[in-house]
Amino acid sequence: MDLDFTIVLRYYDALLIGLWTTVQLTMVCIALGCALGFVTALGRTSKNFALRAITGTYVELFRGTPVLIQLFWIFFCLPLILGVELSNFISATIALTLYMGAISSETFRASLKSVGSEQLDACIALGLPRSVQIRNIIMPQAVLRAVPTLLSNCVSLFKESALVSAVGMADLMFVGQNISNNIARPVEVLTVVAIIYFVIAFPITRAVTFVERRMLIRLAI
Amino acid sequence: MNYTFDFSSIAIGPLLDGLFVTIQLTLAANVIGIVAGFVLALLLMSPFAIVRVPFMLFVEFFRCTPAIIQVVWFFYCVPMLLDVFLDPLMMGILALGLNLTAFNAEAYRASIQGVPREQRDAGIALGLNPLQRIRYIILPTAFRESIPVLLTNGIGIFQQSALVAIVAIQDLMYEGKTLATATYRPIETFTVVALIYFAVSFPVSQVVGLIERRRALAAA
Repeated sequence: MDLDFTIVLRYYDALLIGLWTTVQLTMVCIALGCALGFVTALGRTSKNFALRAITGTYVELFRGTPVLIQLFWIFFCLPLILGVELSNFISATIALTLYMGAISSETFRASLKSVGSEQLDACIALGLPRSVQIRNIIMPQAVLRAVPTLLSNCVSLFKESALVSAVGMADLMFVGQNISNNIARPVEVLTVVAIIYFVIAFPITRAVTFVERRMLIRLAI
Repeated sequence: MNYTFDFSSIAIGPLLDGLFVTIQLTLAANVIGIVAGFVLALLLMSPFAIVRVPFMLFVEFFRCTPAIIQVVWFFYCVPMLLDVFLDPLMMGILALGLNLTAFNAEAYRASIQGVPREQRDAGIALGLNPLQRIRYIILPTAFRESIPVLLTNGIGIFQQSALVAIVAIQDLMYEGKTLATATYRPIETFTVVALIYFAVSFPVSQVVGLIERRRALAAA
């Protein structure tokens, strides 16, 4: 069969709009998800049993089920339960933020553990209140140590965001599938879409290695 | 909220059929991933760039693109490009299996690098040929070291397998979608489906945690 990749060029603007949606969604969910993840990690290490149980259940549920079903659940069930119509973008943001929060909380939990207990003892000895301990002592170190894994999480989230095409949101994957169905050239269009995803995700995975090797050694933490 | 839950309309039979397909997919993909992943890891460590580079590209491509596009790509493009028409289930197994191979190869690579240098030297001193060194020295240690990551990846592919519902393989997710549309009970159906997925993957992730804790204790 003859392949003609130039045909994809004709649809570059549609693909760019799709990519923009994907990138926007990913960015918003990364920001919200990281914050949620940090709070959840604090909850999971707290002394309060109820807080630990709630955050633990949340994390295990979202890590133990496919993202696709989480998306379906939030797209179809949340509006029924809340009794309000949610836009595609809001539903997708909620679903992917909850997912990102769950995986990032595990990252933060590991990095919180790595902050030495002497430092906490020192905080107590200095009589610092809990909020200052978290904001000025624990958070800066935990966040720095979490950076490489968080970057990997971002790549995962970017890839999982392609699932929103299954619930009809016009992201890169959805636009690509639409074009490929319309012009009956799946090989060219789908390959180009895959390459676009690759071109964005690959440099971030390299950055992970770079951060691990250079930055952390230089900071000696 | 004034919604009345009704779980009675959910037929568990089709869901179990779907779960069976999902488990078949997962197990078959894991067989491919565990075996081919090891071979791929060895190829990735080859001293010849001409061998190493193509396989590195293969791994990076699978790790840096969404699984959904890999599955869709396989379904549309492999029959067109190669002129082979496989049973959809086989196609799903291949797509997920190759994805898992790429991820497992990285896990194996880390643990192969962890095999102490002296052991390899001892193998050479004993006059074992390269194949024997892999078979008797590297494989047993590296495999044992990789088990937690292999299990985590395996359960990851169990979850990713829900994607094949998009290309109409009748797995658990697909049966769930059909049932939700047929009964107009999406909340109940999707909740049950999610719980089924959870009930399978949670115990496995607990086992991984257990192995890791025991190893940490043994190392201490």
